[in-house]
Amino acid sequence: MHRRGVGAGAIAKKKLAEAKYKERGTVLAEDQIVQMSKQLETFKSNLEEFASKHKQEIRKNPQFRVQFQEMCATIGVDPLASGKGFWSEMLGVGDFYYELGVQIIEVCLALKHRNGGLITLDELHQRVLKGRGKYAQDVSQDDLVRAIKKLKVMGSGFGMIPVGGSYLVQSVPAELNMDHTVVLQLAEDHLLKEGLAWLDSQAGAEAQYWLPALFAELTSRDVTPEEANQMTP
Amino acid sequence: MFFRTLTAVNTASTAMSFEWPWQYNFPPFFTLQPNVDTRQKQLAAWCSLVLSYCRHHKLYTVDVMEAQESPVFNNKKIERKLSVEAIQVVFEELRKKGNLEWLDKNKSRCLVMWRRPEEWGKLIYQWVSKNGMNNTVFTLYELSNGDDTDGEEFHGLEDWMLQRSLQALQAEGKAEIITMDDGKGVKFF
Repeated sequence: MHRRGVGAGAIAKKKLAEAKYKERGTVLAEDQIVQMSKQLETFKSNLEEFASKHKQEIRKNPQFRVQFQEMCATIGVDPLASGKGFWSEMLGVGDFYYELGVQIIEVCLALKHRNGGLITLDELHQRVLKGRGKYAQDVSQDDLVRAIKKLKVMGSGFGMIPVGGSYLVQSVPAELNMDHTVVLQLAEDHLLKEGLAWLDSQAGAEAQYWLPALFAELTSRDVTPEEANQMTP
Repeated sequence: MFFRTLTAVNTASTAMSFEWPWQYNFPPFFTLQPNVDTRQKQLAAWCSLVLSYCRHHKLYTVDVMEAQESPVFNNKKIERKLSVEAIQVVFEELRKKGNLEWLDKNKSRCLVMWRRPEEWGKLIYQWVSKNGMNNTVFTLYELSNGDDTDGEEFHGLEDWMLQRSLQALQAEGKAEIITMDDGKGVKFF
Protein backbone atom coordinates (compact mmCIF):
# COMPACT_ATOMS: atom_id res chain seq x y z
CA MET A 1 0.00 0.00 0.00
CA HIS A 2 1.16 3.54 -0.67
CA ARG A 3 1.83 5.71 2.35
CA ARG A 4 1.05 9.38 2.01
CA GLY A 5 3.44 12.02 3.19
CA VAL A 6 6.61 10.14 2.45
CA GLY A 7 8.82 10.46 -0.51
CA ALA A 8 10.06 13.25 -2.72
CA GLY A 9 6.60 14.34 -3.64
CA ALA A 10 5.59 14.68 -0.04
CA ILE A 11 8.65 16.72 0.78
CA ALA A 12 8.02 19.09 -2.06
CA LYS A 13 4.44 19.44 -0.96
CA LYS A 14 5.56 20.17 2.53
CA LYS A 15 7.94 22.83 1.31
CA LEU A 16 5.16 24.46 -0.66
CA ALA A 17 2.92 24.43 2.37
CA GLU A 18 5.64 26.03 4.47
CA ALA A 19 6.19 28.72 1.87
CA LYS A 20 2.53 29.47 1.80
CA TYR A 21 2.40 29.70 5.54
CA LYS A 22 5.37 31.98 5.54
CA GLU A 23 3.73 34.22 3.04
CA ARG A 24 0.61 34.21 5.07
CA GLY A 25 2.68 35.04 8.15
CA THR A 26 4.24 37.98 6.40
CA VAL A 27 0.87 39.12 5.29
CA LEU A 28 -0.37 38.77 8.82
CA ALA A 29 2.60 40.73 10.21
CA GLU A 30 2.08 43.44 7.67
CA ASP A 31 -1.54 43.62 8.67
CA GLN A 32 -0.60 43.97 12.22
CA ILE A 33 1.92 46.64 11.50
CA VAL A 34 -0.59 48.66 9.60
CA GLN A 35 -3.05 48.23 12.45
CA MET A 36 -0.49 49.24 15.03
CA SER A 37 0.60 52.26 13.03
CA LYS A 38 -2.96 53.40 12.85
CA GLN A 39 -3.31 52.90 16.59
CA LEU A 40 -0.10 54.76 17.27
CA GLU A 41 -1.24 57.63 15.14
CA THR A 42 -4.45 57.84 17.09
CA PHE A 43 -2.54 57.54 20.32
CA LYS A 44 -0.11 60.24 19.27
CA SER A 45 -2.78 62.69 18.27
CA ASN A 46 -4.66 61.99 21.49
CA LEU A 47 -1.52 62.71 23.44
CA GLU A 48 -0.94 65.91 21.56
CA GLU A 49 -4.46 66.97 22.28
CA PHE A 50 -3.98 66.08 25.92
CA ALA A 51 -0.74 68.03 25.97
CA SER A 52 -2.18 71.19 24.53
CA LYS A 53 -5.19 71.00 26.81
CA HIS A 54 -3.30 70.30 29.98
CA LYS A 55 0.16 71.77 29.57
CA GLN A 56 -0.80 74.87 31.51
CA GLU A 57 -2.49 72.79 34.12
CA ILE A 58 0.56 70.63 34.61
CA ARG A 59 2.81 73.61 35.06
CA LYS A 60 0.47 75.47 37.39
CA ASN A 61 -1.24 72.88 39.51
CA PRO A 62 0.75 70.63 41.87
CA GLN A 63 -2.20 68.39 42.60
CA PHE A 64 -2.77 67.85 38.90
CA ARG A 65 0.91 67.12 38.46
CA VAL A 66 0.74 64.34 41.03
CA GLN A 67 -2.21 62.77 39.27
CA PHE A 68 -0.48 63.12 35.93
CA GLN A 69 2.64 61.43 37.25
CA GLU A 70 0.60 58.63 38.75
CA MET A 71 -1.20 58.12 35.46
CA CYS A 72 2.08 57.92 33.62
CA ALA A 73 3.37 55.41 36.14
CA THR A 74 0.32 53.23 35.57
CA ILE A 75 0.97 52.99 31.84
CA GLY A 76 4.68 52.49 32.41
CA VAL A 77 5.88 55.87 31.23
CA ASP A 78 8.41 58.14 32.91
CA PRO A 79 7.86 61.66 31.59
CA LEU A 80 11.19 62.72 33.03
CA ALA A 81 13.14 59.89 31.45
CA SER A 82 14.85 61.96 28.85
CA GLY A 83 15.52 65.60 28.30
CA LYS A 84 14.39 65.46 24.70
CA GLY A 85 11.34 64.00 23.21
CA PHE A 86 7.64 64.26 23.46
CA TRP A 87 7.26 64.72 27.16
CA SER A 88 9.65 67.53 27.73
CA GLU A 89 9.06 69.23 24.44
CA MET A 90 5.31 69.01 24.29
CA LEU A 91 4.52 69.23 27.95
CA GLY A 92 7.53 71.02 29.31
CA VAL A 93 7.43 68.64 32.25
CA GLY A 94 11.16 67.98 32.06
CA ASP A 95 11.96 71.68 32.19
CA PHE A 96 9.81 72.18 35.22
CA TYR A 97 11.61 69.51 37.23
CA TYR A 98 14.97 70.50 35.88
CA GLU A 99 14.50 74.07 37.03
CA LEU A 100 13.22 72.87 40.37
CA GLY A 101 16.29 70.68 40.74
CA VAL A 102 18.51 73.68 40.20
CA GLN A 103 16.61 75.63 42.85
CA ILE A 104 16.94 72.77 45.32
CA ILE A 105 20.68 72.65 44.76
CA GLU A 106 20.91 76.39 45.32
CA VAL A 107 19.07 76.22 48.64
CA CYS A 108 21.13 73.29 49.90
CA LEU A 109 24.43 74.87 48.94
CA ALA A 110 23.48 78.14 50.60
CA LEU A 111 22.67 76.45 53.89
CA LYS A 112 25.36 73.79 53.89
CA HIS A 113 27.69 75.70 56.19
CA ARG A 114 24.91 75.93 58.75
CA ASN A 115 23.33 72.51 58.63
CA GLY A 116 26.16 70.39 57.38
CA GLY A 117 24.22 69.43 54.27
CA LEU A 118 21.17 68.07 56.05
CA ILE A 119 17.81 69.77 55.75
CA THR A 120 14.29 68.65 56.45
CA LEU A 121 11.96 68.39 53.49
CA ASP A 122 9.68 70.90 55.22
CA GLU A 123 12.36 73.54 55.50
CA LEU A 124 13.52 72.92 51.95
CA HIS A 125 9.95 73.34 50.75
CA GLN A 126 9.52 76.62 52.60
CA ARG A 127 12.75 78.06 51.25
CA VAL A 128 12.10 76.97 47.69
CA LEU A 129 8.68 78.60 47.81
CA LYS A 130 10.21 81.77 49.19
CA GLY A 131 12.83 81.77 46.48
CA ARG A 132 10.24 81.38 43.76
CA GLY A 133 8.35 84.48 44.74
CA LYS A 134 4.67 85.29 44.68
CA TYR A 135 4.04 84.94 40.96
CA ALA A 136 5.84 81.72 40.27
CA GLN A 137 4.19 78.34 39.98
CA ASP A 138 3.26 76.56 43.14
CA VAL A 139 5.49 73.65 44.14
CA SER A 140 4.49 70.73 46.33
CA GLN A 141 6.63 68.42 48.44
CA ASP A 142 5.83 65.66 45.97
CA ASP A 143 7.45 67.81 43.28
CA LEU A 144 10.55 68.23 45.42
CA VAL A 145 10.83 64.52 46.04
CA ARG A 146 10.59 63.77 42.32
CA ALA A 147 13.12 66.44 41.42
CA ILE A 148 15.54 65.14 44.03
CA LYS A 149 15.13 61.58 42.75
CA LYS A 150 16.13 62.86 39.32
CA LEU A 151 19.10 64.70 40.81
CA LYS A 152 20.17 61.49 42.49
CA VAL A 153 20.08 59.62 39.21
CA MET A 154 22.30 62.26 37.63
CA GLY A 155 24.85 61.56 40.35
CA SER A 156 24.81 64.96 42.01
CA GLY A 157 25.25 63.57 45.51
CA PHE A 158 21.70 64.06 46.71
CA GLY A 159 19.94 61.62 48.95
CA MET A 160 16.81 61.37 51.02
CA ILE A 161 16.69 59.81 54.47
CA PRO A 162 13.23 58.78 55.63
CA VAL A 163 12.51 60.11 59.10
CA GLY A 164 9.23 59.82 60.93
CA GLY A 165 6.92 60.07 57.94
CA SER A 166 8.89 62.73 56.12
CA TYR A 167 12.42 63.04 54.79
CA LEU A 168 15.76 64.59 55.54
CA VAL A 169 17.40 65.78 52.33
CA GLN A 170 21.12 65.23 52.28
CA SER A 171 23.35 67.08 49.84
CA VAL A 172 26.95 66.21 49.26
CA PRO A 173 28.91 67.82 46.47
CA ALA A 174 29.69 65.13 43.95
CA GLU A 175 33.31 66.13 43.60
CA LEU A 176 34.06 65.42 47.28
CA ASN A 177 32.84 61.86 46.86
CA MET A 178 32.74 61.13 50.56
CA ASP A 179 31.80 57.97 52.30
CA HIS A 180 28.34 58.59 53.63
CA THR A 181 29.27 57.67 57.18
CA VAL A 182 31.96 60.34 57.16
CA VAL A 183 29.46 62.87 55.93
CA LEU A 184 26.94 61.91 58.58
CA GLN A 185 29.67 62.22 61.19
CA LEU A 186 30.44 65.73 60.02
CA ALA A 187 26.79 66.61 59.99
CA GLU A 188 26.35 65.21 63.49
CA ASP A 189 29.31 67.18 64.85
CA HIS A 190 28.03 70.23 63.12
CA LEU A 191 24.53 69.79 64.46
CA LEU A 192 25.85 69.24 67.98
CA LYS A 193 28.02 72.34 67.74
CA GLU A 194 25.15 74.43 66.56
CA GLY A 195 23.02 73.12 69.40
CA LEU A 196 20.54 71.62 66.98
CA ALA A 197 21.11 68.04 68.03
CA TRP A 198 21.27 66.30 71.40
CA LEU A 199 23.64 63.42 72.12
CA ASP A 200 22.29 60.11 73.38
CA SER A 201 25.10 57.87 74.66
CA GLN A 202 22.85 55.12 76.01
CA ALA A 203 21.45 53.98 72.69
CA GLY A 204 23.75 51.00 72.35
CA ALA A 205 27.17 50.52 70.81
CA GLU A 206 27.06 53.77 68.86
CA ALA A 207 26.14 57.21 70.06
CA GLN A 208 22.94 58.56 68.58
CA TYR A 209 21.90 62.07 67.78
CA TRP A 210 18.42 63.43 68.20
CA LEU A 211 16.83 66.50 66.73
CA PRO A 212 14.34 67.92 69.25
CA ALA A 213 12.28 69.45 66.47
CA LEU A 214 11.78 66.09 64.80
CA PHE A 215 11.15 64.45 68.17
CA ALA A 216 8.28 66.84 68.74
CA GLU A 217 6.90 65.88 65.34
CA LEU A 218 7.29 62.19 66.02
CA THR A 219 5.49 62.42 69.32
CA SER A 220 2.79 64.43 67.55
CA ARG A 221 2.43 66.96 70.24
CA ASP A 222 1.86 70.65 69.81
CA VAL A 223 4.98 72.35 71.01
CA THR A 224 4.27 75.44 73.06
CA PRO A 225 6.46 78.50 72.43
CA GLU A 226 7.95 77.94 75.89
CA GLU A 227 8.85 74.37 75.06
CA ALA A 228 10.34 75.47 71.76
CA ASN A 229 12.61 77.78 73.74
CA GLN A 230 13.70 74.90 75.91
CA MET A 231 14.84 72.86 72.95
CA THR A 232 17.49 74.94 71.30
CA PRO A 233 19.59 77.80 72.59
CA MET B 1 12.94 61.84 112.55
CA PHE B 2 11.24 60.45 109.55
CA PHE B 3 12.94 61.19 106.30
CA ARG B 4 11.01 60.43 103.19
CA THR B 5 13.28 59.50 100.34
CA LEU B 6 12.80 59.49 96.61
CA THR B 7 12.45 55.74 96.38
CA ALA B 8 9.99 55.40 99.23
CA VAL B 9 7.32 57.42 97.48
CA ASN B 10 3.96 55.75 97.60
CA THR B 11 2.45 57.00 94.41
CA ALA B 12 -1.00 55.84 95.38
CA SER B 13 -1.00 58.37 98.17
CA THR B 14 -0.64 61.34 95.86
CA ALA B 15 -4.01 62.64 94.84
CA MET B 16 -3.01 63.88 91.41
CA SER B 17 -0.49 61.93 89.37
CA PHE B 18 2.72 63.71 88.52
CA GLU B 19 2.95 65.16 85.04
CA TRP B 20 6.31 64.52 83.45
CA PRO B 21 7.74 67.25 81.21
CA TRP B 22 8.38 66.42 77.53
CA GLN B 23 12.12 66.14 78.20
CA TYR B 24 11.54 63.16 80.46
CA ASN B 25 10.69 60.96 77.46
CA PHE B 26 13.44 62.40 75.24
CA PRO B 27 16.29 59.87 75.45
CA PRO B 28 19.19 62.35 75.14
CA PHE B 29 17.87 64.14 78.22
CA PHE B 30 19.61 61.44 80.26
CA THR B 31 23.01 62.07 78.69
CA LEU B 32 24.99 65.04 79.92
CA GLN B 33 25.21 67.21 76.80
CA PRO B 34 28.64 68.15 75.49
CA ASN B 35 27.46 71.41 73.90
CA VAL B 36 27.65 74.10 76.56
CA ASP B 37 24.51 75.96 75.53
CA THR B 38 22.49 72.79 75.18
CA ARG B 39 23.74 71.64 78.57
CA GLN B 40 22.50 74.84 80.16
CA LYS B 41 19.03 74.18 78.82
CA GLN B 42 19.27 70.59 79.94
CA LEU B 43 20.36 71.40 83.49
CA ALA B 44 17.67 74.04 83.85
CA ALA B 45 15.09 71.45 82.87
CA TRP B 46 16.54 68.88 85.29
CA CYS B 47 16.51 71.33 88.19
CA SER B 48 12.93 72.19 87.44
CA LEU B 49 11.98 68.52 87.24
CA VAL B 50 13.68 67.56 90.52
CA LEU B 51 12.08 70.44 92.39
CA SER B 52 8.59 69.88 91.05
CA TYR B 53 8.82 66.13 91.67
CA CYS B 54 9.90 66.71 95.27
CA ARG B 55 7.22 69.33 95.70
CA HIS B 56 4.54 67.00 94.35
CA HIS B 57 5.54 64.14 96.63
CA LYS B 58 6.51 66.36 99.57
CA LEU B 59 10.05 65.04 99.63
CA TYR B 60 12.72 66.89 101.55
CA THR B 61 15.75 64.62 101.58
CA VAL B 62 17.52 62.74 98.84
CA ASP B 63 20.08 59.99 99.09
CA VAL B 64 22.19 60.13 95.96
CA MET B 65 22.73 56.38 95.59
CA GLU B 66 19.03 55.67 96.02
CA ALA B 67 18.18 58.51 93.67
CA GLN B 68 19.70 56.69 90.71
CA GLU B 69 16.94 54.10 90.96
CA SER B 70 14.11 56.54 91.49
CA PRO B 71 11.79 57.14 88.52
CA VAL B 72 13.02 60.74 88.31
CA PHE B 73 16.51 59.77 87.23
CA ASN B 74 15.64 56.39 85.81
CA ASN B 75 13.05 56.20 83.05
CA LYS B 76 12.47 52.48 82.61
CA LYS B 77 10.08 52.99 79.74
CA ILE B 78 12.72 54.46 77.43
CA GLU B 79 15.57 52.59 79.14
CA ARG B 80 17.56 55.66 80.04
CA LYS B 81 19.02 56.74 83.36
CA LEU B 82 21.12 59.65 84.52
CA SER B 83 24.59 58.60 85.64
CA VAL B 84 25.77 59.28 89.19
CA GLU B 85 28.18 61.89 87.86
CA ALA B 86 25.38 63.64 86.00
CA ILE B 87 23.14 63.53 89.07
CA GLN B 88 25.92 65.24 91.01
CA VAL B 89 26.11 67.93 88.35
CA VAL B 90 22.36 68.51 88.60
CA PHE B 91 22.55 68.68 92.40
CA GLU B 92 25.42 71.15 92.20
CA GLU B 93 23.24 73.35 89.99
CA LEU B 94 20.46 73.16 92.57
CA ARG B 95 22.89 73.99 95.34
CA LYS B 96 24.10 77.07 93.45
CA LYS B 97 20.51 78.21 93.07
CA GLY B 98 19.92 77.81 96.82
CA ASN B 99 17.53 74.90 96.54
CA LEU B 100 19.81 72.20 97.90
CA GLU B 101 22.06 71.63 100.90
CA TRP B 102 24.46 68.75 101.47
CA LEU B 103 24.03 66.95 104.74
CA ASP B 104 27.47 65.36 104.72
CA LYS B 105 30.97 66.05 103.42
CA ASN B 106 30.80 63.07 101.10
CA LYS B 107 27.80 64.53 99.33
CA SER B 108 25.78 61.36 99.71
CA ARG B 109 22.65 62.92 101.20
CA CYS B 110 21.09 66.31 100.72
CA LEU B 111 18.15 68.46 101.64
CA VAL B 112 16.00 69.57 98.74
CA MET B 113 14.32 72.89 99.30
CA TRP B 114 11.71 73.12 96.62
CA ARG B 115 10.46 75.96 98.70
CA ARG B 116 12.99 78.10 100.52
CA PRO B 117 12.68 78.73 104.29
CA GLU B 118 11.66 82.35 103.72
CA GLU B 119 8.81 81.22 101.50
CA TRP B 120 7.59 78.72 104.07
CA GLY B 121 7.83 81.37 106.76
CA LYS B 122 5.62 83.62 104.69
CA LEU B 123 2.97 80.92 104.29
CA ILE B 124 2.94 80.13 107.99
CA TYR B 125 2.70 83.78 108.94
CA GLN B 126 -0.16 84.30 106.51
CA TRP B 127 -2.11 81.49 108.16
CA VAL B 128 -1.43 82.87 111.61
CA SER B 129 -2.61 86.36 110.64
CA LYS B 130 -5.63 85.09 108.75
CA ASN B 131 -6.81 83.28 111.84
CA GLY B 132 -6.07 86.16 114.16
CA MET B 133 -3.61 84.10 116.13
CA ASN B 134 -0.93 86.72 116.54
CA ASN B 135 0.53 86.76 120.02
CA THR B 136 -0.35 83.13 120.55
CA VAL B 137 2.31 80.61 121.40
CA PHE B 138 2.50 77.41 119.41
CA THR B 139 4.60 74.35 119.89
CA LEU B 140 6.41 73.31 116.75
CA TYR B 141 4.41 70.10 116.73
CA GLU B 142 1.12 72.00 116.77
CA LEU B 143 2.19 73.95 113.73
CA SER B 144 3.32 71.04 111.63
CA ASN B 145 0.98 68.32 112.85
CA GLY B 146 -1.90 69.94 114.68
CA ASP B 147 -5.51 69.45 113.63
CA ASP B 148 -5.84 73.18 113.08
CA THR B 149 -3.24 73.19 110.34
CA ASP B 150 -4.58 70.17 108.55
CA GLY B 151 -5.02 71.05 104.89
CA GLU B 152 -2.44 73.82 105.00
CA GLU B 153 0.54 73.40 102.73
CA PHE B 154 2.97 73.49 105.62
CA HIS B 155 1.17 70.70 107.40
CA GLY B 156 3.59 67.81 107.68
CA LEU B 157 6.56 70.10 107.17
CA GLU B 158 9.67 68.43 108.47
CA ASP B 159 11.16 69.75 111.64
CA TRP B 160 14.46 70.99 110.27
CA MET B 161 12.67 73.03 107.60
CA LEU B 162 10.08 74.31 110.04
CA GLN B 163 12.82 75.58 112.32
CA ARG B 164 14.58 77.34 109.48
CA SER B 165 11.35 78.95 108.37
CA LEU B 166 10.67 80.24 111.82
CA GLN B 167 14.24 81.48 112.07
CA ALA B 168 13.66 83.40 108.87
CA LEU B 169 10.51 84.95 110.35
CA GLN B 170 12.40 85.72 113.53
CA ALA B 171 15.02 87.53 111.50
CA GLU B 172 12.22 89.62 110.01
CA GLY B 173 10.89 90.38 113.46
CA LYS B 174 7.65 88.56 112.86
CA ALA B 175 8.17 85.75 115.34
CA GLU B 176 10.20 84.65 118.32
CA ILE B 177 11.37 81.12 118.95
CA ILE B 178 10.93 80.09 122.56
CA THR B 179 12.54 77.25 124.40
CA MET B 180 10.07 75.44 126.59
CA ASP B 181 10.33 72.52 128.97
CA ASP B 182 9.57 69.82 126.47
CA GLY B 183 10.82 71.39 123.30
CA LYS B 184 10.61 74.51 121.23
CA GLY B 185 7.75 76.82 120.62
CA VAL B 186 7.12 80.00 118.72
CA LYS B 187 5.24 83.20 119.27
CA PHE B 188 4.01 85.22 116.32
CA PHE B 189 3.70 88.99 116.38
